[in-house]
Amino acid sequence: MGLVERKATHRRYAQAIPGAFAITKRGTAPCRATCPAHVSVQGFIALTNDGRYREALELFKQDHPFPGVCGRVCTHPCESACTRNAVDSPLGIMYLHRFLADTDRASGNPYVPVKKPRREEKIAIVGAGPAGLTCAYFLAIEGYQVTVFEKLPVLGGMLTVGIPSYRLPRDVTEAEIQVIKDLGVEFKTGVEIGKDFTVGQLREQGYKAFFIGIGAQECKRLGIEGEDYKGVYPGVEFLREINLGNRVHLGDRVAVVGGGNVAMDCVRSALRTGSKKPFIIYRRAVEQMPANAEEIEECREEGIELMTLTNPTRVIAENGVVKAIECIKMELGPPDKSGRQRPVPIKGSEFQIEVDAIIPAIGQETDWACLTDECACTLNDWGTMRVDKVTLQTSDPDIFAGGDAVTGPATVVEAIGAGKEAAVSIDRFIRGEDLFAGRRTDWTPVQDVPLDGLPHVARNPMSLLAPEVRKTNFNEVQRGYDENTARAEAHRCLECGVCCECYQCVAACKAGAVTLETHGQKPETITLETGAVILAPGFEPFDPSRFDSYAYAKLPNVITSMEMERLLSASGPTGGHLVRLGDHKEPKKIAWFQCVGSRDLNRCDNSFCSSVCCMYAVKEAVIAKEHAGDDLDCAIFFMDMRTHGKDFERFYNKAKDQGVRFIRSRVHTIDKVGDTGDLAVRYVTESGELKTETFDMIVLSVGLQTAAETVELAKRLDIELTPGHFAQSAPFAPMATSRPGIFVCGAFQGPRDIPQSVVDASAAAAAAGEILAAARDTLTVVPEKVPEVNVFNERPRIGVFVCNCGINISGTVNVPSVRDYAATLPYVEYATDNLYTCSQDTQDRMAEVIKEKQLNRVVVAACTPKTHEALFQETLMAAGLNKYLFEMCNIRNQDSWVHKHNPDLATQKAKDLVRMAVAKVGLMQPLKEAQLDVNQAALVIGGGIAGMAAARALGAQGYTTHLVEREALLGGQARHLFQTPDGAPVAARLDQLVADVSGDPNIQTHLNSEISAVEGFVGNFKTTVKNGAQEQVIEHGVAIIATGAVPLVPTEYSYGQDSRIVTSLELDAKLKADDPAIEELGAAVFIQCVGSREPERPYCSRVCCTHSIDSALAIKARNPEANVYILYRDIRTYGEREYLYKEAREKGVIFIRYSLEAKPKVSIENGRLTVRLTDPILGRPVEIDTDLISLATAILAPDNNALAQFFKLPLNDDGFFVEKHAKLGPCDFATDGVFLCGMAHYPKPIDEAVSQGKAAASRAVTLLARQHISTIGQVAEVNPALCSMCGVCVSICPYSAPSFRAATERFWPGRAEINPVLCKGCGLCVASCRSGAIRLKGFDTDQIFAQLFALNEAS
Amino acid sequence: MSQWEPKIVAFLCNWCSYGAADLAGVSRMEYPPNIRVIRIPCTGRMSPKFVLGALREGADGVWVSG
Repeated sequence: MGLVERKATHRRYAQAIPGAFAITKRGTAPCRATCPAHVSVQGFIALTNDGRYREALELFKQDHPFPGVCGRVCTHPCESACTRNAVDSPLGIMYLHRFLADTDRASGNPYVPVKKPRREEKIAIVGAGPAGLTCAYFLAIEGYQVTVFEKLPVLGGMLTVGIPSYRLPRDVTEAEIQVIKDLGVEFKTGVEIGKDFTVGQLREQGYKAFFIGIGAQECKRLGIEGEDYKGVYPGVEFLREINLGNRVHLGDRVAVVGGGNVAMDCVRSALRTGSKKPFIIYRRAVEQMPANAEEIEECREEGIELMTLTNPTRVIAENGVVKAIECIKMELGPPDKSGRQRPVPIKGSEFQIEVDAIIPAIGQETDWACLTDECACTLNDWGTMRVDKVTLQTSDPDIFAGGDAVTGPATVVEAIGAGKEAAVSIDRFIRGEDLFAGRRTDWTPVQDVPLDGLPHVARNPMSLLAPEVRKTNFNEVQRGYDENTARAEAHRCLECGVCCECYQCVAACKAGAVTLETHGQKPETITLETGAVILAPGFEPFDPSRFDSYAYAKLPNVITSMEMERLLSASGPTGGHLVRLGDHKEPKKIAWFQCVGSRDLNRCDNSFCSSVCCMYAVKEAVIAKEHAGDDLDCAIFFMDMRTHGKDFERFYNKAKDQGVRFIRSRVHTIDKVGDTGDLAVRYVTESGELKTETFDMIVLSVGLQTAAETVELAKRLDIELTPGHFAQSAPFAPMATSRPGIFVCGAFQGPRDIPQSVVDASAAAAAAGEILAAARDTLTVVPEKVPEVNVFNERPRIGVFVCNCGINISGTVNVPSVRDYAATLPYVEYATDNLYTCSQDTQDRMAEVIKEKQLNRVVVAACTPKTHEALFQETLMAAGLNKYLFEMCNIRNQDSWVHKHNPDLATQKAKDLVRMAVAKVGLMQPLKEAQLDVNQAALVIGGGIAGMAAARALGAQGYTTHLVEREALLGGQARHLFQTPDGAPVAARLDQLVADVSGDPNIQTHLNSEISAVEGFVGNFKTTVKNGAQEQVIEHGVAIIATGAVPLVPTEYSYGQDSRIVTSLELDAKLKADDPAIEELGAAVFIQCVGSREPERPYCSRVCCTHSIDSALAIKARNPEANVYILYRDIRTYGEREYLYKEAREKGVIFIRYSLEAKPKVSIENGRLTVRLTDPILGRPVEIDTDLISLATAILAPDNNALAQFFKLPLNDDGFFVEKHAKLGPCDFATDGVFLCGMAHYPKPIDEAVSQGKAAASRAVTLLARQHISTIGQVAEVNPALCSMCGVCVSICPYSAPSFRAATERFWPGRAEINPVLCKGCGLCVASCRSGAIRLKGFDTDQIFAQLFALNEAS
Repeated sequence: MSQWEPKIVAFLCNWCSYGAADLAGVSRMEYPPNIRVIRIPCTGRMSPKFVLGALREGADGVWVSG
């Protein structure tokens, strides 16, 4: 999905945690991977594309000192590897860096890299060719004293004396060598090592290391008769003479033997020195010539003949001077070891050509005269130096070698790569470091670059001198790219690696968070010892692009629900402004299609229901209307509306009231309407009518599925999956996978919404906690506590720390002036500014300054206290200050970020805010946080499934648990249930759970008991439990409410008038008892939503659809002939329960929908039991004679009022308890220390009750495990002398913190007092106290007034 | 008169509006710089005295949000 373009460096999304930036890397681009010098090619191209030529050149020169040289003569393996080859043609990479080098040279101020601090070690480089020069360049940058010894009078080696200047003009080479001179490298020319100096002598002179880069300068011989006659000039010698400025007369007809670049150079140079007909003799075909394709092409343009498949056999001379050459014709035979076809002579095809000169150019070798006796290094069979492949070290530890001398004749860029690697080795050698450690040898290029639909863009051709102009002289043939061409060519880059590795971020990051090491990060394998594993890999949204009929991939105004979420988000691509992505038009009509990728076996494999899509579609429709106004027409096309969550049905009803249209139909086709971008939808209504409607935008409500890599993970972990690829688990242990010790939570457990995922997460934590109970606290590290300095009665000594936040604040606010201003404020002893106040080193420094300057109050002017107050408070504590002697002022989020176009006023505002904070902090006092012991016992109220699961989880973790049950038996409603949807009887597993609870020595069960009184608060409750006349007071630290629910006793459908009309639970009893009547049934009718989803009870009871279908299947199993009907409003078999629905239909259960307005009618006439209703598809009345009616009765909350009052817990309109947060706190209450689970929260099936029971226990353990809790210091306090005992505070406090002292107390009887443990510091009582008797510490009236008084002292 | 800018004092609840003002910054929204925010733990802490105090200290408007 891509709604916006994202750069490689990006913040993942506005609310991401951590909120840091990330860099997307796909891998190393092939150009960089292939280049022997590993130049950051994509990087310099990206910078070139951006017009930042200097930065591009600097980046290039980090890896390679010869952009201009290689821009002309490189064999460019990078271009051969360029991904663009697969699209059209590769980028002109070498032309681009040539452009950079030429631009740099023309600037008159060429770039010279910055040297590191000077190092005294001397290093000798032998040979001033590309390898030696490169090695010298990198070692000079490292700060070494480098001397290069060169045999010839000129520098550059083959660059200067091997390559003709029409290809590589001298001044280009000289300019790039000049940079190396500017780096301080010393050059000695005309000095031959081995003759003028030996290595041994240089060692004595103090040279610490050597690099041998003497190339391969000696021509290989042809090995044929007559080779020594006059007129045979070895190619390299010929080029050297010309390049040294000596005239060579060859005559008109010159045969150049060879097919490499040297041969091409020789033949073209011969043309330019006056030969009329120089030509090439090559033994293979043109396609196999090793020379660059452009060289061969330019040869042809210049009229040079290429005589291929020809091999010389003899030189024929007259008077010792060459006269002719005898050749033989060749043909291509089978491939040789290199994979090229081996040329084979054709017998008898010899012929002679008259020539004036012959130039053999078939390869070179090295003259090793430099290796004198004191060198231990050795040559291999090929006559090249033997070195370590990675480090280039020879058998002499201080001698390194590279270039042609090691590889045999090869390319310039390979020599440069070797020089660079040798420099790394030499630096490490001198420092005494490991030569091998961490060196990158694996340069596998990225493979998976998406190429679909890329337009063809031709490569920009290089402009050339015309052949007739160029062939008589040595002027440069290739003229280079101009700026526009270079930019256009750079724009063709496909950015294979995503991050281009231009390293501009490294330079830009002032915090040093992004480094070259960051860029080199690799996946690593970490081994952890662990006692339990929790899997929370989540889901992936279904990708609808494979559905042709919905044309998601083709039509821009067909989007997914995930994309709709982003469009509606304030942090989304349009800032929450609802527009069509196709044309940015505001939509007037939007349609949602449900079940895309869910409940579908025809077009995808996901036959489960994704559980969440109905609700999110309704939510999106309602929010869309909020954004776009009520006129927006929203239509949701659905099969069954599944709003089975807590309060969801109410939301659905409200959406209908707000005009959201719900259309029960599955759409089969979307058609585009001309070029309007609008979309026509064809669908069939329930009555079979075909309709067409046009929408501006269509949202596909995509389902949840397990990602392929998660399935892989499951395989690796050896856990079993369900048919829908979710983790397999059992209803009584929903968080346990098939492998002991591995637990699961979230959408991998089955498609589910946020509240359920949060519940499951806590449950999985409890399950892991149970098996790890023995190890609790064994790995805990206790932080050292610094004793607190007493600042009482001290004059304030305030320190002000102003943060630059990199440039986040200093980019707008003038930080130094704020700092200087702060220093002038009263009581300020110290003011400073920091680049990042939150960084660890600044924190350490701050603690030192506090001690050193004896500061007793601190102000940090930085970001927001919401995120950073706690961090700075810790620093205060580390310096021995009470953490409340602190004030933060917000000059980033509420100043620099929101006034960036107003720097002066923003600076003024920052000064004002600092002044106000200083005024306040001076009045701050050390505050105490009350320490509270947590009683280590728990009370669980309710002995049903959820309560028992909670008690088990607590008991297993070693906590004494009191389980209070009103009835005489444990088990709750589950005792009435027949089987779970997996077909296993409930009773057996319930009995096992009861046995586990009864057998746990940590659990004390109180049967036939009820709660009659509760006193105390979190950590210290005293609860009175009444068993008949007996009362017992239990002391406990936490309480879990698991009081369950009760079934509705129906008044509809003639219930109670005939024994054949039963409730779901009554039917379960019959099934459990194997009632023989089941097998005699002719027909059975299930009526759904009996009491649920009614105006007086507008909620769904969640379990009944699955329950009825399960029972229907049980009847069908015992009595396949029975006609079973299910009369429903929407079938809500969410998640993988959907399989049961499918199975029921397959087994012949008949489903007939009815509406609230036309409910089924039950009649009993003469013993005949009949149900009548109208079939909405047939549109006709249906009459069913039946032998059984099962009513799916609503699940009701019992009367919870007393308990709610005991613990001060809220109840909703339906009588269920209200959790702390519907999404994020489903097991917690606003009241600390009390937790919620099971059907007391909302109707739910067994697995969810078990999960929530464990989750509540897990939440409770977070308190119990701490043993002590600290409350906040910013609490209200009563001055009893001023209290008038009016009682307003007592009545107004939402947390019941204020109370009256007992009338019998000795001091201040009857006056109010505030329990600091219960107080949340909201200040409500303070504002409402008519006597002014209450103050709020930390937000005291004088402190707030100090801020107000400081408002206006503008400087 | 067109140059005149009112001075506004805002009392923002720590749990909602203060966080919202932070989010406005994170979202790089822009608004005029003539507002001074005083963070309070809850608008329940708000007392009429603070409104009067702000006006007396020269505020042209007081905004309480929570």
